[in-house]
Amino acid sequence: MSKFHFGLVHAPLTPFVDGKIDFETFDKAIEFHIAQGAEGLAIQTHAGESVSLPVDERKALLERAIKKAAGRVPVIANVSEAGTGIAVDLAKHAKAAGAAAVMASVPYYWTPPDSMLVEHFAAIAEAASLPTYLYNSPHEMNNVKIKTPTVMALIAKSSHIAGLIDVSMDWQFMIEVIADASRVKPEFQLVAGTEYMVSAHATGATGFLAPTAIVAPQLMKKLYEHVCQEKYKEAHDLQVDAAFLYRLFDRFGAAGLKVGAKLMARDCGQARPPLPVMDGVVVDEMAHELTKVKALATEKRGW
Amino acid sequence: MSLVLKGVMQSPITPLKEDFSPDLATFEKMVDFHVRTGATAISWPHHKGESHNLTIPERKAMAEVAIKTVNKRVPISIHVSALALEDTYELARHAQKAGADAIIAITPYFWKYPLESIYNHFVKLGTTFDMPLIAYNSPDYLDGVEFTAELTQRLLEKLPNLIGMKDASFNSERFFEILRVALPMRPDFAMIAGVEYLLPSVCLGGKGSYSSAGAICPNLVNNLFDACESGNWKLARELQYKLSQLWHLFRDQYPSSLKGGMQIMGRNVGPTRAPLPTASPERIKHIEKTLAELGILDTEPHGW
Repeated sequence: MSKFHFGLVHAPLTPFVDGKIDFETFDKAIEFHIAQGAEGLAIQTHAGESVSLPVDERKALLERAIKKAAGRVPVIANVSEAGTGIAVDLAKHAKAAGAAAVMASVPYYWTPPDSMLVEHFAAIAEAASLPTYLYNSPHEMNNVKIKTPTVMALIAKSSHIAGLIDVSMDWQFMIEVIADASRVKPEFQLVAGTEYMVSAHATGATGFLAPTAIVAPQLMKKLYEHVCQEKYKEAHDLQVDAAFLYRLFDRFGAAGLKVGAKLMARDCGQARPPLPVMDGVVVDEMAHELTKVKALATEKRGW
Repeated sequence: MSLVLKGVMQSPITPLKEDFSPDLATFEKMVDFHVRTGATAISWPHHKGESHNLTIPERKAMAEVAIKTVNKRVPISIHVSALALEDTYELARHAQKAGADAIIAITPYFWKYPLESIYNHFVKLGTTFDMPLIAYNSPDYLDGVEFTAELTQRLLEKLPNLIGMKDASFNSERFFEILRVALPMRPDFAMIAGVEYLLPSVCLGGKGSYSSAGAICPNLVNNLFDACESGNWKLARELQYKLSQLWHLFRDQYPSSLKGGMQIMGRNVGPTRAPLPTASPERIKHIEKTLAELGILDTEPHGW
């Protein structure tokens, strides 16, 4: 199978006007991310409010992104769903639409045992017939973890398992999974799903999913370039800023990320309910917090 | 305070005789082995040293042996955590009198104390005992009771003798967040990984680790630190992956398996106190197989 390299991937937001997808702004966002150094686009992650989008809208956004990117960068489709059948449908659509890879989270709602995770991910990987990335984010997913034996079972079961996107930031797991997986499948990739690129790269991560790139794309690019050259200690100040942004938007969520984008003159509207409307005091607080990020001084305003 | 922590520090296991009483003669050998094989500091008794399974008089008696055996060759800290804080203060008093260079203490955790209680406890420890203090953070084992960055900041403001933290979160966000607030306030502040997860911690600004596997493979852990220090990241990755396999081998019923593994290396330290099991012959065989596969048997010292 093709050797897909994850690299530095941005996660575009989903712009809304009056609750409806604003495709014109979405096009601008795609252009912006590519111009600002994205090596790939993930459509749509949690930052892009994937969980608030019906299947038809997810398919439409994916198609639009692939059309707009026009082969300049690969598009990774997030096909996460709690129902295997729906996820499989999204995976098939991703392949047909021209996505370069797919990613999927655990069907956490069912408190799945490990064997259920293997079946779920294997079905998705086979349906997509594309490089498939497992998304491990226990703190967002009711503490359902993708454990190393699950990954090993999946590698044995499907040739499409390409890597794992880690949001746990747990060194014990990250090192174990990349060490064990790369022993049997050298091209297996560990991807950092958070902005803690220094420690992730040191442990063996080669891919980075950076949701805060909508706010600070140049910071993400510089940090990425530093870690790729193993300049970990020199990257300290960049990592401080990136960690600050991660924590800020972890606290305020996808709706907060839209506030951050708007403060950088990249208005994507409000998040869909049930995410809260962000205005007044919250916006002021976030604006104040962002003044603490040195790197923002040199980031572009507007699209 | 003059004590600066750095490198791979060893926290010895606690040797026991067949009747489960402390084996002081072997304990001396254990401590001496660590100092001779490159430990930059000694700290006892961590959970690896079965601290919970020892009585307060036993802890005092063995602390004296450890301090005497180290004999100022490297700094030694005494772990003074106990469920009853009065025991902690008593152990700290004793450690100071016995000549320890520092004390180390975990967050009180049994009743999920508010941060203010943890703050007060550490202020009391740090102000009552005029000696370097190391904080011990273990959020996963203690169900989320932890040193937050904010709490650490307040303690650093109050305590000039808070020189470092043992961090067993093994988590980039938690580790870096404390470092981020501590370093500007105290550039020598030592963030120490609780097990030799040196690769992710040193690259973030960590100063070293308390070792888990040092009683088995001191060369491997020291080489890993050297590789991280000199920026030989490819080698560091290779060694860290090996140590990861060892950690996953040993952390099962820790430290029983570690004690079992030491037998294979010709350093018999006896059984493990209940409720921990003592490693069975089958378990030891399994450990030996893994040590052989990892090349440990050929590259590490045998015997004392």
